[in-house]
Formats: sequence, C-alpha cells, structure tokens
Amino acid sequence: MSQTEVNQARSLVYNLFSSLFAWEISEQRQKELTSPDAMVFWDMLAQDPNMARPVQILLATLTQMTTERQRLELAADFCGLFLVGDKNAASPYASLYLSDEDRPTIFGEQHHVMCDFLRQSQLQVQSDFKEPADHLAVMLAFMAQLCVTASDESQLAFLETCIDSWLAAFVDKVDTCDPGQFYSALAKMTLQWVRDDISALKQL
Amino acid sequence: MKWLINLWRTLNRPARYLTLGTISISAFIMGVVFWGGFNTALEATNTEQFCISCHTMKDTPYKELQETVHWSNRSGVRATCPDCHVPHNWTQKMGVKVAAAKDIYGEIFGVIDTPEKYEKKRLEMASRVWKQFDKTNSQTCKNCHDYKSMNWDKMSPLAVKQMKQAAEKDQSCIDCHKGIAHHLPDMGTSRAPELIAQVGHGVSPVDGQEYYSALTKELFEGPTGDKDAGLLNIATEVKVLETQGDRVKISIEGWRKRIGAGRVIYKDFGVNILTAQLTKEAAKHEGTIRVFEDKQDPMTGLTWQRVEVDIWTNKNYLLQNPDMLWSYAKDTYNTACSVCHTQPAPAHFDANTWPGMFQGMLAFVNMDQDTTALVQKYLQEHSSTFDKSGHH
Amino acid sequence: MTMNRRHFLKGLLSVSCVALGSTSVLKPLTAMAGTLSEPKEDWLVTGSHWGAFRINRKNGVIDKVLPFDTDKYPSDMINGIRGLVYNNSRARYPMVRLDYLLKGWDSDTTKRGDFRFVRVTWDQALELFIDALNTVQTQYGPSGLHAGQTGWRAVGQMHSCTSHMQRAVAMHGNFIKKVGDYSTGAGQVIMPYVLGSTEVYAQGTSWSLILEHTDTIVLWSNDPYKNLQVGWNTETHESYFYLAELKKKVKEGKIKVISIDPVVSKTQNYLENVEHQYVNPQTDVPLMLGIAHEMVKQGWHDADFIQGYSLGFDEFLKYLQGQSDGVEKTPEWASKICGISPERIRELAKVMTTGRVQMMMGWCVQRQQHGEQPYWMAAVLATMIGQIGLPGGGISYGHHYSGIGIPASGAAMPGAFPRNLDEGVKPIFDNNDFKGYSSVIPVARWIDSILEPGKVIDANGNKVTLPDIKMMVFSGCNPWNHHQNRNRMKEAYHKLKCVVTIDTNWNAGSRFSDIVLPACTTLERNDLDIYGAYANRGILAMHKMVEPLYESLSDFEIFTRFARKLGKEKEYTRGMNELQWLEYLYNGCKQANNGQFDMPDFASFWKAGYYDFGPGKPWVRHQAFREDPEINPLGTPSGLIEIYSRKIASYNYDDCPGHPTWMEKVERSHGGPGSKKHPIWLQSCHPDKRLHSQMCESDEFRATYTVKDREPCYLNAKDAKKRGIKNGDIVRVFNDRGQLLAGAVISSNFPEGVIRIQEGAWYSPVGKDGAKAGGWEIGALDSYGDPNTLTLDIGTSKLAQACSAYTCLVDYEKYTGKVPEVSGFSGPIEVSV
Repeated sequence: MSQTEVNQARSLVYNLFSSLFAWEISEQRQKELTSPDAMVFWDMLAQDPNMARPVQILLATLTQMTTERQRLELAADFCGLFLVGDKNAASPYASLYLSDEDRPTIFGEQHHVMCDFLRQSQLQVQSDFKEPADHLAVMLAFMAQLCVTASDESQLAFLETCIDSWLAAFVDKVDTCDPGQFYSALAKMTLQWVRDDISALKQL
Repeated sequence: MKWLINLWRTLNRPARYLTLGTISISAFIMGVVFWGGFNTALEATNTEQFCISCHTMKDTPYKELQETVHWSNRSGVRATCPDCHVPHNWTQKMGVKVAAAKDIYGEIFGVIDTPEKYEKKRLEMASRVWKQFDKTNSQTCKNCHDYKSMNWDKMSPLAVKQMKQAAEKDQSCIDCHKGIAHHLPDMGTSRAPELIAQVGHGVSPVDGQEYYSALTKELFEGPTGDKDAGLLNIATEVKVLETQGDRVKISIEGWRKRIGAGRVIYKDFGVNILTAQLTKEAAKHEGTIRVFEDKQDPMTGLTWQRVEVDIWTNKNYLLQNPDMLWSYAKDTYNTACSVCHTQPAPAHFDANTWPGMFQGMLAFVNMDQDTTALVQKYLQEHSSTFDKSGHH
Repeated sequence: MTMNRRHFLKGLLSVSCVALGSTSVLKPLTAMAGTLSEPKEDWLVTGSHWGAFRINRKNGVIDKVLPFDTDKYPSDMINGIRGLVYNNSRARYPMVRLDYLLKGWDSDTTKRGDFRFVRVTWDQALELFIDALNTVQTQYGPSGLHAGQTGWRAVGQMHSCTSHMQRAVAMHGNFIKKVGDYSTGAGQVIMPYVLGSTEVYAQGTSWSLILEHTDTIVLWSNDPYKNLQVGWNTETHESYFYLAELKKKVKEGKIKVISIDPVVSKTQNYLENVEHQYVNPQTDVPLMLGIAHEMVKQGWHDADFIQGYSLGFDEFLKYLQGQSDGVEKTPEWASKICGISPERIRELAKVMTTGRVQMMMGWCVQRQQHGEQPYWMAAVLATMIGQIGLPGGGISYGHHYSGIGIPASGAAMPGAFPRNLDEGVKPIFDNNDFKGYSSVIPVARWIDSILEPGKVIDANGNKVTLPDIKMMVFSGCNPWNHHQNRNRMKEAYHKLKCVVTIDTNWNAGSRFSDIVLPACTTLERNDLDIYGAYANRGILAMHKMVEPLYESLSDFEIFTRFARKLGKEKEYTRGMNELQWLEYLYNGCKQANNGQFDMPDFASFWKAGYYDFGPGKPWVRHQAFREDPEINPLGTPSGLIEIYSRKIASYNYDDCPGHPTWMEKVERSHGGPGSKKHPIWLQSCHPDKRLHSQMCESDEFRATYTVKDREPCYLNAKDAKKRGIKNGDIVRVFNDRGQLLAGAVISSNFPEGVIRIQEGAWYSPVGKDGAKAGGWEIGALDSYGDPNTLTLDIGTSKLAQACSAYTCLVDYEKYTGKVPEVSGFSGPIEVSV
C-alpha cells in the first residue's frame, strides 16, 4: 500500500468525523453509515481495542434507530451539545478551549488562525455550513485536505497545535453533557483516532 | 419678440463668449428665420440631442433624469426630454416652445449658468413646468401611462386606493408625482404640501352651503383688508353666508368656555375639539360672537356658552366633505404613530383625553402644524366620545 | 505506523467511499468568499442605543469599536458592543422544542424553560409558526393570540423588530395588543389628566436655559448621569456636556442641586457637592404633602398662578389641611412616615419656594403601587411654586431620558418600515370577533389575563375583560426580563399552548418558548437611524459590519419569508429590498426637509455615513401655556393644570381618588406593612451597564461588573454585617415569591433597609436547592440575580394598571448552599420529558 493510498484513507476518516460533528444524522445518512460497506469499515475500526467500545455504541444507535422520534431524540442531543451555547453543552469551537481570556466567546482567536490557514490553502467554509472556522468539523475537514496535500511534518504540526491541543477537553465536555451515548462515543473515537494518527506520523 | 432682439445682440458678441449650446441655438434660430423650414426646425428641437445641447440642461436636469426609472428600467423603454415636455397637440406644443425660449434666454444670459444659480431658479422653472402639466392634465404622462390600461391587480392595495381615486377624476399625474424625473426644487416652508396634494385646494364655495377647512385658515374681520381676526382650525365645518371677491363670510357654531376673553371656540359643549381662535379684538367686536345658553361641565366645573360666530376668510381651501382629510389623517396617524409602538385605536380614548396623549408623544413624530392639528382633530372626532361601537 | 493501523487503512480503501463519505464542509476559495476577504481598514459607521460608533473588521469579524466622531462623552458600554455579536448565548439556528415538534398543541408545557430543542430549517420553522397561527385562529379566534407585547428593540428605522413581527402576523390574522409600557406605565396615564400630556415622553426645557436661569434643581428619585447613557434612538450623549457644565456651576455655588432619593445616585457622586435628602422608600407623597402644608401655612405658595392656571386647589386644600379626612398633613405627620425631620421638611418648603426652582422627576417613583400619586403631587408642588412655563423653572418628568433637554434641530426625521398593514390589505383570517374579550389590555396585565381569563378589571375609566390567551409571539422583547414575579409567570406559561420567540439570543424568553427563530443583531444588517431621539441631531447610516452569524436573519428577511409562505410577500415588502427601503426612507426625509436642510442624495449620505442637522434652539416647556392659557391650553379636560380631577373622581376608584393622596402600600419597608417579616426594600432600577436586559449577554463586558459571576446586589454595610456578609460573598435574596443569588457589593450609597439589584439581569433558574436541573420548577433558585424573581405583580391602581415593581420587600442572607453554575447566557438545560 503506497503512502498516497494511506493518506487517502486517512483523509476519508477525517472527513467522516468532520461530517458527524457538522450535521445531525438524517435518515439518508443513517442508511449510508449502516450500509454493508460501512459495516466493513466499522468492523475494521473496532479491531483497535480502544475503539471497540465506542464503535459498538455508535453502531447500536445507528442500527436501532427506526423511528423518526428516535432520530429526533438524537438530533436533540446534537442540538443541546453543539448548537446552543457553552454551558451544559460542548461548544465545538477551539477558541473557547484555547483562550487565555476569562470569558472566551465565539469567533475568537482560533477562528482567525483557521481563516488564515484556509486562505493560504485556497479553501473556504461551505456557504451552507454557517459556523466559525474554528469549529471542530472545519478543522477535521482541513486535516482531511492536509492528508492528501501536505507534508507529514505539516500534518503533524497542525494536528498537534490546532486539534490535539483542545480535543481532550472538548471530549470530556461532551462526555459530561451528552444526554445520550452516541456523541460521547463519537468524541472518544475521534480523540483516539487523532492520538493514533499523531503517533503514526511521529514514527514515520 | 424682445427675446429675439436680445438674442441677436448676444449672437453678435465675440464668438469666444459663446458656448456650444448657444451656437446650437443660434443654428436653430438661423434655421427658423432664414431657411424658412419652420416645421423642420421645430422637429429638430423635439429631440433630446437638441435639449441637451446647452450645458445647463445637460449637467443638471438631464443628469437627474438618468438617476430615475424613466431613464433606466427593466423594460428598456426610455423617456427622453420631449416625451414628457412637448405635447403632441400643436397648440399646446407651441405654448411650450414659446415658454422654452425663456430657458434659452436664461442660458445665454447666464441666469442659470452655475449650479447655485440653477437651484435658485429651480422652483420658478419647475412651477412653470408644473403649470404646463396642469394645463394639459399631464397629457404627456398619459401618452404612456393610461388610467384605463392600469392593471389594479398588480399594484399594492395602497397604490390601488390612491390611483383609483385619481383615475375617477382623471387627475393630473403631476399633482402627486412631482419630482419623478428631476430633483424637487426647494419649496420653502409651503404648508403641508403632501396634505394639499391629496385633498386639493378646495372648491368654489356656494352661498348657503356647508364646507370643511382644508388647512388652518386665517380669519378676517371684513371682506377686504388685512385685519387679522384669528384662525379657523383645520377640518372644521363652516357655513358660507356670502361671497365677496376672494373672501367668504362664514358662520361657525360652537361652544366656548367662560374664561379669559372667551375667544376660543370649541366644537361642542364640554368637548375640547378646537374650532377657531379669535383675536381679542375680534372677540370683543360687536356682533361677531352671538352668545346663547350657559351650561356647566360636570367634568371640570367650568361654565360653557353656546356661540355663533360670523366672520370672513379667504374662499380657498374649503372642501365639500371631510372624508379626504380624515383619510389623510388616518394614514398619517397609522404610519407616524406606529414607529415606536402599536398606535391606540382612535376610539381607545375620549375626545378630551386625546390632546394629552397625542401631545405627549409629539416629540417622536414629524408633522407640520397643519397636519398635527388635523391628526389631533381626527383622533378626537373618532374618539370614544363619538364612536360607541367598539369595546376597546 | 503499526501494522494494525496500516492494515486498517488498507482495508478502508476497499470500502466504497460513497458509503462513508459526505461532502466536505470546505470548498475551494472563490473570489466571492465574503467572510474571508483580506482585512482592510474601513471604519464603517453604525448606531445603537448606546451611541454611534466607527467599527473595523478583520477576517469578516468585528475587530475594534471606537466612538463616533461627534460623541465626546461615550458611555463605557461601548466596551460591550462587540459582545452583542459574539457571545455564547447567540441564537444560531431556527429551533423547535422537541416535545412541541412531536405533539404540537398537546405538548407538555409544565417544564418550560428546561426543554430539549432540535434544529430545523427556516422553512420548517416558519411552517410550524404558521401552523400554530392557523390553529389559534381556527380554534380560538383573535382573542387567543397575543402578539402585542412589545418593548425596547434594537435601533434602526428599517429593521425595528416589533414592527416587522406585527405587520407580518397581522397579514395572517388579528390579535391582542397592549397599551402603555413598563417604564412609565403610571406616569403616562396620570399626567394627561394633570398637565395635559404624558410628560414622561415630552421634550423638556433646554439644559442651557436651566444652567442660565435655575437657582435650585431638585432631582427627585432621578439619576440622569446613569440613565442618559442610553437612548430610544442612537444616543448623542450631548447631555453630558450640560451635566459637566452643571458640575462646574454647582462647584462655584451658582446652582444648588438637591437629590431627594433613598440612595446616593450616580449623578450625585458625579456632580459632587449635591445636597442629598434621604427619604424612606415609597413615602415621597407624605414628604411632598408635608412640604405643601408648610408652603400654605407660610403663604409661600403662588396663589396667583394657582388661580390663573389651575383648577381644584380648594378641594386639595381640604385634604391637605385635614378637613376632608381628619388628618392634617403637617410636616410632623409626614415625618413619621417619610423619616425626615419636620424641621427639614419646613426647610425644603422654603428652599423650593426661593429663587428659580426646576424639579426633575425620575421614573422610579411611579413604578410602585399608587405610582400615579407622587407624579400628580409633584405637579401640585410645582404649581404651588408657580414657575411652570418659566425658563429654568417648573417641573419635568424626562430630563434623564434619551437626551431630553437637548434642543431639537427642528429637522424632519426619516420614517420607518410600517408596523401596520397597508391600506386595503386584509388578513387571511379576517376575523374581528374577540368573543367579548378586550382586544387591548394594559401592558402589565397579560399574566393576569392568562391566569384569569374573563375577569373584568378597571383601567383608566374603562372596563377591560381579560382575554383567554393561548399563544404568544414575541420579537426582540424578553418578557422574562420586564415582567414581575417569575414564579407566577411560570404558572401562567403552563397554560400557554404555543410561544414563538424571535430573538438574537437564548435568553430566558427564548428558553421558555416552543419555536425560536434567530434574528441577527444590528451590526449584521443595513439600516439607518435617528441620531438623538429628541435632539434630532442627524441621520446616521448603520452599515452592515458582518454577515449574519450562523443562520440568523434580519427581521425583514425573516418576515419576508414568512409573508411569502402566506402568499403575501409583495404586500409585505412593497416590492422593495433592504437597501431600496433605506433609500426610500432617506428620500422621504430629504423631501420633508427640503428648503430647510440641503441633504445630499442617498448614495452620498450612505458613503459618508452621517448627515448633521446641527444644533437646535433652546426651548421652554409650557412657556406657551404660561403666556396665554386660553389660546395654548393644556391637554387636560379643562385646559388648565388639574390639581383636582373631576374626571378621575368620577371613576370612583378607591386607589386613585380625585386629588393626590397618600395611601399605604401592601408592602413597605422602614416600619410599613410586611417589614417585620421581610425588612429590606428591593430597588430594581434601570441598570448602569445595560439597556434593560440588552447587553447582559455581552460576556466579556458582563464580567467587568459581576461578582463571582452573579449580578451585583448593593448592600448597606450595617445590614450586611448583621447578616455576616462581606464584599464578594454570594447572597441569597428572598421573599415569599421567590429567591435569587447575587454577589454582594457593600456600598455607602445605600441606606439601611435598602438593597439594589438592577433590572435586566438575565433570569437563570436552577433547582430550588441549587441543583443544575429544576429551573422549570416553581420556587426555583435564580442563579444569576434577576430582581423580578422577587417583585410583586399587581397593578399600580385601577387607573393605570401599570407595573408596581418598586413595591417589593425582601430579606437576604449569606448563601451557604451548593453554589450552582450560572445557568443563563447559554441554551436551555435539557431535561427529558
């Protein structure tokens, strides 16, 4: 397997996580994520002992969700965690975790950092994703781009300074605030993936 | 033909003083005078090219036109100078042409050769144009915009209401649409222009009939002379007794409080709806105020007297009925008084409470004095004192 | 890379990308990328209640905010402006309460405030909104819908939120509306009977004339230095120039200022050398009566003025001297109630009848039970002094508000986007059958209405039948700030079937709603505003600084979409977009000023950002009346000052008789009713660092004044010591109506028996015992410090039926329980149903 192929695969995973933090699970998305191909993916992911438990929870939710009501409950979990504020919620913005200020707010310093990165890479946030650039989903999507365009050193630098620097704090917050289990499992899985990827990049 | 002589004198000045515009005009004059092709030359003057061949026209009104919908719109139809300013009817056309000569004179003699001078003259020039439109009943507008061809369904309800009223009377378009193609002149402090645009200047009163004042009107002691006798409030019913020249003698019925000089007349007993305020002299003048019975108002303890006043006023701004006034007042009230809050329905308060409520909010609205007086009177006359229909 | 990982990645490539993949949230940069434009310095202009600014952006984000060129006295609230846009409680997406989405009008309403929400699209949200309106109109008719509870909004003539909401909802059907407001509810009803105008919203005598002519200014429960920071329109802060001049004159001994107030005000501290006259809370009327008694006794009153300009002094005199009720209102009598010595009351009578005296009333004293009385009695005092209509004399009720006292330029101001339907437009449900209920109710009586529909109450000479309200729509108006008694509100909200809120934020109002529609702030849309609400100093462009955050929209856009769904878009917009409306409003103003002011065309104005009409000419309130009361009568029934109102007397109200009267309150501190149980008077005045509740959301700025994250409560040192409270402690303030936590600030400005918690603190309920969940419960603990958790929800009287927030007794203690995190300034706390 060539390094290019590896990077394509990594990119795919980053994009997957990005999308799960960006949007609620629609019926269509649920189908995609439980398709036979996807099940192969989840199985493979679950072979990592650290991933097994979160994958199991994620899949349990995805496969057992049969009614609109259940989907709405999951959407309400998403909403309460990521869309309404920073208390009793896990705001997915880097600025809120990395600021020196007492009262960091949305569109903080990390938003500007990410704007600069995106501009340098000739990228921008999709117009239907109306979130600040320091949203975890933007960062993960940017990382997905870096996987296939940037050097390992750059990838490592971005992962460590921009994502890993606050991801654990965010995951803790999700874990505390999640009324269900799906998003805390997703968060843990994402953290594990990022940590694994960092060590892999370091070993290269 | 004095203008022509003057023109010749100018043409005889050294060429370096002549602008391009005057050369074109001179060409026109030459054409008229020497080549005999009168109609041909006249047609030449009916083009936009001709109109803007003089600087003033090109720099000011032409430029202003270019900012408007008559210049640029989605249908691609453009109105040029002559489309609006030159009637098709030959007599009317000649009238315009002769009038236009004055502009040429102005251009040549530098009456309007700077923006400042142009602005100074703008009202005078605009008034002339408006008069022209009045005379032709805005025929040039109607060449394209025909009341009969208007599609009411595609207009906003507000526009429909106003347009239909205008259509019924085949009203001149310029009555309401002044400033549609060029900037409006400085109209100074002319009174309540929007109100007058809507209700008009009044009718020719007939003796013995009842009318309503379209503005707050000056009162006089006699059929002639400037002796001020006070003011008649807007939207007030009067009876015309006789006419002499520009004046009419009117009779006002009402009540007054027995305090002070007793020179303020109200609409009814115990109701503070202003009808007229007389000067002290007029109030004292023998025979002006006729006094009838007394009555005490239980709400204030004040004694009121029924009175009739015979007095003179100019015969303009008298309307046959107050509907247009109330309609204007209602629109103004609903618009101006809802900027900050929901406006209370007129019948929410009684006639004597409205002045206090209305005056207490006046700092927030823009109304000239006539409109203020009209809106207050509208609210009072439609208040719970008279409107017992609704529960508010 | 470990083999395991490589194995996984290799396997991954064999999986169809389509299954997992989703479109990235990123895309290639195009030239149109608005939010990623290169930073450039442009310092655009905008306005706000707090003043005008120039603002610079970076990466499509507001960077710096500076005071506008002409603002020489900017408020320090300028530091909160950025936080209005960037704060953690922003409403970001249209959302619906989950249970409402599932069950509609049968949803569980008992736990309002703590519900789970889900994000929906704008289309879905607006359809749900319209469905609810359909339901209310078909099942209950217009009396079931209250969309008339409106209040302060953000500035801007185009986007004024309540106008948009009411115009749009009126296209669907009719609804209940309010009359009056919370700020001046009693004043604006009583004063037309007495001085013939609301007075509270009337232009006042120019400050320059006051500085020139006045010998003594009596500030009566009035704090202009605090309150003039904000304005109904963009505030110019020119008033502060005059206050600075006043300070000089006070220092030089040329003007004497007396502040009659239970507390030492910000104005007093600023002006220095002010004579402070303490008075027991809610006892201004006895003090005024004592002063009046002394004036009459000494013959200091102006009998000629009373005779020529007023009615009913004799009837009043019978009360003052005790003939009518057997109690002579002597300074000794007054002293026992108001806590001021008889000698001092006599001295005040002397001072107020010596030289030129300008009385300046604040609004606080009329926000109490019988709030009509102090205003009426003050007018009687001013009539007795006899200087009404003289420059620098008489009485005013608004010199602390929106720049009243700055001479008006006389220019016509721009109009606004219409609140009402255009002529001829009919609602879809064209039904005016209110089923015998009143269609207009006094503003502060809506909770009564929900709780006791059908009850008939007296109000200003009329009978009002309280309607049976099932659905409410609020826009830019948070009732969970301005109304009294939170726990009673919760009870009422259980009865509401549907609540729709259009707001910029997740304040308590949004959290207690079923459908929440996110509006953008003023800085995210184009508008224009009047510069100086009364000064009419100029017109200000309000340039859009940044694109609307998240999926928030301007009020105009929200209701254009709403109207489109009703098939009435054109009737709503008149076929004009935002900028066309601005040009239309501007041109209307230009035309109205033609001949008076040479205003540039719209494009030039928009580029310059400002047009200045220049200063106005000084003016004297009531001067015309004084000069000729016959020709220029007041708007009272008689046209004269009514010391005794036969009209009010004719209503036969026990709580508002025909002349100003002292009546005991249901709760009064300093020995009054209820003071044994709860000895402390709660003063919930207008805040110093907000406009009502606006700007509380500005996180960074809020942190500059909070104490341990809580709203400060200002305490007297002795009271605090008695309760073992030190500066910075968390205090539990309580009475039988509710409880809240606030942060102790001990200050010598506050006398014994008084606590100040400024209104506008965002209600942030948590469980009774401080537990995170349970904010929905009746009796919940407010974790931030909203004083209306504790206030009394009764009308001032049968006349005004206004709010009585200042009739409120509490007690407080050091809080020793579990300290909850402040629950406000964020989304709802979820509880499962």
